[in-house]
Amino acid sequence: MSKISAMMDTGKRSLMNSQTALQTVGHNIANKSTEGFSRQRVELMTNQPITEGNLQIGMGARAGVVTRVNNPWLEKQIQKEGTSMGYQDSRTNALSRVEQIYNEQANKGLNQYMTDFFNSFRELSNNPESLASRTMVRESAAALTKDFGRVVGQLKDVQEDIDGQIKTTVDEINQITKEIASLNEKVQMVEIQNTPANDERDRRDLLLKKLGEKIDISWAEGKDGMVTVTAGRTGILVSGSGSSELKAQETGDRDRLEIFFVGTGAPANITKQITGGRIGGALDVRDHIIEDMLAHVDNMAYTLAKEVNAAHIEGFDKSGRPGVLFFDMPEDVKGAAATINLNKTIFNDVGRIAAGAQPGAAGDNTVANVISSLQNRQVMDGGSSTLDDYYNTQVGQIGAIAQRAAKAQESQKNVLGQLTNIRESISGVSLDEETTKMIEFQKTYDASARLIKTADEMFDTVLNLKRL
Amino acid sequence: MRIADKMAFNQVNQNLSKNRSDMADLQNQAATQKRITKPSDDPLASARVLAARTEERGNTQFIKNINNARSFLEFSDQSLGELSEILVRAKELAISQSNDASGNAESRMVTASEVEQIYNQAVQIGNRKLGERYIFGGYKTQTMPFSQAGEYFGDDGDMKIQTHKDSFVAMNIPGNKVFLGKGLGGDGIVRARYEAPTNVEQLKEFQQEELQRKEQNQELEQNYLETRGPASERRNSRMDKQDPVTGGAGINLFTTLRNLEVSLRTNDKDGIQETLDTLDQAISQVVLARSEVGSRIMSVNNTMDSLQKAVVDNKVTASELEDADAFQVISDINKTDSTLKATLETSGKLIQPSLLDFLR
Repeated sequence: MSKISAMMDTGKRSLMNSQTALQTVGHNIANKSTEGFSRQRVELMTNQPITEGNLQIGMGARAGVVTRVNNPWLEKQIQKEGTSMGYQDSRTNALSRVEQIYNEQANKGLNQYMTDFFNSFRELSNNPESLASRTMVRESAAALTKDFGRVVGQLKDVQEDIDGQIKTTVDEINQITKEIASLNEKVQMVEIQNTPANDERDRRDLLLKKLGEKIDISWAEGKDGMVTVTAGRTGILVSGSGSSELKAQETGDRDRLEIFFVGTGAPANITKQITGGRIGGALDVRDHIIEDMLAHVDNMAYTLAKEVNAAHIEGFDKSGRPGVLFFDMPEDVKGAAATINLNKTIFNDVGRIAAGAQPGAAGDNTVANVISSLQNRQVMDGGSSTLDDYYNTQVGQIGAIAQRAAKAQESQKNVLGQLTNIRESISGVSLDEETTKMIEFQKTYDASARLIKTADEMFDTVLNLKRL
Repeated sequence: MRIADKMAFNQVNQNLSKNRSDMADLQNQAATQKRITKPSDDPLASARVLAARTEERGNTQFIKNINNARSFLEFSDQSLGELSEILVRAKELAISQSNDASGNAESRMVTASEVEQIYNQAVQIGNRKLGERYIFGGYKTQTMPFSQAGEYFGDDGDMKIQTHKDSFVAMNIPGNKVFLGKGLGGDGIVRARYEAPTNVEQLKEFQQEELQRKEQNQELEQNYLETRGPASERRNSRMDKQDPVTGGAGINLFTTLRNLEVSLRTNDKDGIQETLDTLDQAISQVVLARSEVGSRIMSVNNTMDSLQKAVVDNKVTASELEDADAFQVISDINKTDSTLKATLETSGKLIQPSLLDFLR
């Protein structure tokens, strides 16, 4: 037979359970907007019953454990897609800046300056005697070389900017890995007592996602509940409760930042191992796409200087002197666009522009014609395209790359959005649901109190037996 | 599916930001009237727009070139017209004085003065200037081509002007060809000598040939010196003299006029009659040169027409590639606007109600 005290006890425990459940509901509501939070649930279970004779009497409920509603495989997938997202994001951002350098929809660019340059030679050919048309040649050539410089300068600016981003991102990575390591320790400490470390795990999952957005990582959880995080192939960032740092530093060969893993030994350059995340995307633009564009514009400047010089030096200037180099010849293809310059002699005296093929013939425009014809000659790509074709192809190409990147970013955003939605549908907090639970547990609380009151009254009845 | 609050908020956020960015994009198109504002909007089209613009600028320049060449050619044509007129006058005078019926020593003396004036006019025409440039000096546009004695100080350079991507036209006629009859083709027509060199190899070849030609011209000069002589020398020896280098026959207008004048002054009837033939040839030499100029003007005009059409075509091409279709943009804006309003309305409904609103 059950005892009144047992009844009171059941009521009391039920009160406590309801309170725990309401506290958890409160925790859920409070963290409704917390990033990476998974809703939590108190697992209630029936208490150990008492057997009396052939009766088994229930002893109420007890709160077993507070668990979080979470799908770890989904979390891992989101983390992976987040790496792609970070890659696409930083790539798209950088590319949209590169693209602007080649945007001639609103501003004057290399294409126009080049046409102006060749047209100025056509004008010179119309009137080789005139100083005005000679000055036009000088101005258009100076403007063209300046624009070559602009393109190179702006491309390098983007590279420098990317370097800055890499540096900031590496600092953030170091912060995150430190926190993951300390969370590792907490998770282990909590879970050694067989209590799931819900909030710590949520936070750690979130940090792994954030880390993955910045750099491509691989990670695994050990039996002790701690995760090991590796960046690239060899940079072990987090191991147990310890973390190692990354460092962004210039190397001797090149004035661009490279990524070093600072472990116990000498710092190891892992730049080439990084192919994902924000850093991976930034590196791709910085080291492949921009370098490629630089090589192309150098190639153009070099060829232009070479071809114009070759013709110009065969000619004779206004006073019958043999032609000088028109452009200061860049030594190397590499860097040609930055160094291409109008020859000082010509800059100072436009009379030195050699328009004619023969000395002492003021109206001779043969060389001017040869130089302006260069515009339609196929001197690029081993004689298969003109300078214009070559440049326009570059513009089309960078446009296509930027467009593809933007589309990839868009679709990656969708993928990630969908996955996040699925995650929310599992782990997210619904106020309606929590409110319902709140009412539910409040009622339970009320009823439990009523039970205690009833037990109390029963006690009273028993205690008053004598008096009756 | 279980719907968490965050999902609803996310969804509202995403939808609104998409609508807003669509709207911003369309507004941009409406404001700029351009469909393409950066290469990634349409990579292929933006590369083609650049090519079309280059083409357009090139064509505009060719139009300028042609205008320049045309005024040069037209002025040459006009001058050659005058030249042939005065030669015809010289011929009329020669005919009238070639027989004793209409001429005598005295009238020939008077006519000689007029022929002398014609000679002077011919020299003046040879030294015509357009702006600061002598039109009959070949490349030597800054040197007076003819001395009073009829010596030539120009060269036989043809100033080639680009009228189209791959075509050049000579805008001048060197004076030694028209006035001295040098370097003419076998048919006596004055033609531009070379295709314009368009690359360095051709340029070097051109320079080489020019050097050779200069030597040949000197040789030619010596041959001419021999045949030039006092009026008493047999004129037959000068007439129809073959150019030893090119084989072309040509007439020296100045010598012809001078011979006529001398014959008139010396009352040399035979001499006058002989000049008649030469004058005929001289007139035809000038007329042929003029027809060459005329045909160049014609071809340049034709090119001009097609260039002007091409400029318009290119503008159309660029416009088709990059311009926004205003009608489409406006109707898209209206569409997006109503979508945005619908999103806002439904979003409000989606976020508003919660169980809490119904609990009192």
